[in-house]
Amino acid sequence: MSEVVRKYIPLLITFIVGVIAVLDFYTTVPAIRGTFTVLKNWGIVVTAFALGVGAVNLFRVHGKRIAERGELWPLSGWLLFMLIVFVVVGLSTGKFDASWQYKWIYNAIMLPLGATMYSSLCFYMAIGAYKALRIRNIDSLFLFLTAIFVVLGNTPMFPAALPGFFYTREWIFKTIISGAYRGIRIGVGIGAVVLGIRTILGLERGYLGRA
Amino acid sequence: MVSTDVGVWIAAFFTIVATSYAFRDNIFFRFAEYTFIGAAAGHAIVMGVKNVILYGWTHIAGGEPSYWIPIILGILIYTRYHPKYYWIYRYPIAFLVGIGVGISIRGAIHADFIKQIAATAKPLIATTPLGTLNNIIVFVGTVTALTHFIFTYEGIHKGAAGWIPKIGRWMMLAAFGGAFGNTIMTRFSMYQGRIIFLLRDWLGIIH
Amino acid sequence: MSMWEKLAAIPREIVLTIVLIAMIVPAIRPFGLPIMVGKMSKDWYNTVDSLPEGSIVLFDIGFGSGGYPTLGPCAIAALHQMFEKHLKIVIMATALEGSMMYPLIMEKVKPEKNYGAEYGRDYVFLGYIAGEQTAMAAVLGDIHTAVKEDYYGTSIEQIPLLQEITGPESFALVAYLTTSGGIAEGWVYQAYSRYKLPVVGGFLSMMTPSLKPYYDAGALKGILDGIKGAADMEYMTHHPGDAMRATDILSATQTIVLIFIIIGNISYWGSRLSKREGEK
Repeated sequence: MSEVVRKYIPLLITFIVGVIAVLDFYTTVPAIRGTFTVLKNWGIVVTAFALGVGAVNLFRVHGKRIAERGELWPLSGWLLFMLIVFVVVGLSTGKFDASWQYKWIYNAIMLPLGATMYSSLCFYMAIGAYKALRIRNIDSLFLFLTAIFVVLGNTPMFPAALPGFFYTREWIFKTIISGAYRGIRIGVGIGAVVLGIRTILGLERGYLGRA
Repeated sequence: MVSTDVGVWIAAFFTIVATSYAFRDNIFFRFAEYTFIGAAAGHAIVMGVKNVILYGWTHIAGGEPSYWIPIILGILIYTRYHPKYYWIYRYPIAFLVGIGVGISIRGAIHADFIKQIAATAKPLIATTPLGTLNNIIVFVGTVTALTHFIFTYEGIHKGAAGWIPKIGRWMMLAAFGGAFGNTIMTRFSMYQGRIIFLLRDWLGIIH
Repeated sequence: MSMWEKLAAIPREIVLTIVLIAMIVPAIRPFGLPIMVGKMSKDWYNTVDSLPEGSIVLFDIGFGSGGYPTLGPCAIAALHQMFEKHLKIVIMATALEGSMMYPLIMEKVKPEKNYGAEYGRDYVFLGYIAGEQTAMAAVLGDIHTAVKEDYYGTSIEQIPLLQEITGPESFALVAYLTTSGGIAEGWVYQAYSRYKLPVVGGFLSMMTPSLKPYYDAGALKGILDGIKGAADMEYMTHHPGDAMRATDILSATQTIVLIFIIIGNISYWGSRLSKREGEK
């Protein structure tokens, strides 16, 4: 009984919901369409609840660090403070993200941080290209040649001087990249479908977590 | 003219501090990092609450009591933190996995498999010699790249047949080189936005 | 340390400072280089251009602060074209920060001032909808059961544009801009595979190689390829903005990167050849 409730019923839920989703695509039975419409809308709500899991984890990890005066514990306190500030400002006006107060703190804090954190990797790209992009053997020669021609085509200065660089880039994308990535895409697609079918059939159970 | 907006100054501070990590790890960057993580988690909560109200509670208030089911399922996600009843969270996760997998495999079969094979199975001969050459390169690239990933039959990687996956490997390396070239452009194009913000919106040097 | 080894050992602080200067100088003194429009951007433009006036477009903001410097200009230019064509636009966000991008984009597009557009009649914003592909399937399948209010809290029964939507066939085009591979694939699966709707997609340049097979197979009718696509759109729509300015910065920075790549390879091969000669 315990194993049925803990393991087999969740697997059954995955199977039923997954099959309805797939049947919705391949059939025109109104009952299936209607059921799947309801399930989709429910899915939005359940996913919305899942958005808070990250915050709970942060409270657990950083709360423990503050309590034990661990490494950089004042910054942990600042992290939780910022979390609470955003939640309070977001929920207090009744307008959530549409309030001018929330937009202000987002534009002042999250927007510059998000934009800079992702983009400052460009400096590592420059260092990496300088230190690592070397022609060591025939394999790296292929990688190097196309990288150089694509960079030359992407740099507007060179096509402005010689349009051939632009057309070479377009040709690389049209032929080499299209061909190889189509092969990769088919392989990825087969893998995704097989994994999906195994998940629906209950053969992949990793998502159930610990026993 | 230098901006007098407090928000712009705060944004400029965080931009400079977040960039400083590229030169050296420092406490100011750590401060920015922890700020971002806390803000991002707070933002997720705000959007989560809004979605629960808009897409859950609004339905219940509108006379659809069945929407209590996803709300209960959503609350049950947090049982994962309970030492004894953690297994209850498998119910909402099973629901999400079922929907996610079912919704995506139907599209994957069509777009990643059928359409790609149909696009490959086109006549190689084009109206121009260059067009024919291009079609041959695309076909060879697709087939050899796929062959590279056949691990169940070892014979394909040996002898004369071994050239096919080898060509596939070279085609993929060439493709990855092109992707790397695009990655360089992506990263620099992202950071240039910050440079323009600092020079235009903060310092007023450009317009 | 030999000359070759010195070439390979330029301190990272010097490399980074040179890169930083290469970004700042063209921003202050633009080169004004010409734009060569790529085929994928042209196809996006032509796909939107071929739509009759009054057609309804579903536009997804699938990016947040990380993608704003690149995809923000894409969104602005794309929306300029759609408003100029008097298309009706249902805007939604599948990215968590997408709803925060909306006001930043619209304050540049200014649809009321520039095009006489009216919110509710010509365009509407649904806000962030959780679930990625689940949200896409819900909105496309039956928007009236999925969505009850817009971003501002107005009931959808009071929004004329949404009353015109009777099903997925009401949408003439699905357009999305995203930094997420899942969202990019998701729209192809949900809009194209499921409902055979024409789809155009914009994403970061580094995502283009892996998503180009969809364009080659006809699942995507056009692609905006990061900042390059944004510059192409600004050029084609005659609305110069941050993307065209960025092309000058890209010219300088990528040239610097190329120079460093060449220096790195010269030092590598110089060391190898001189070692071999030393051994002889």
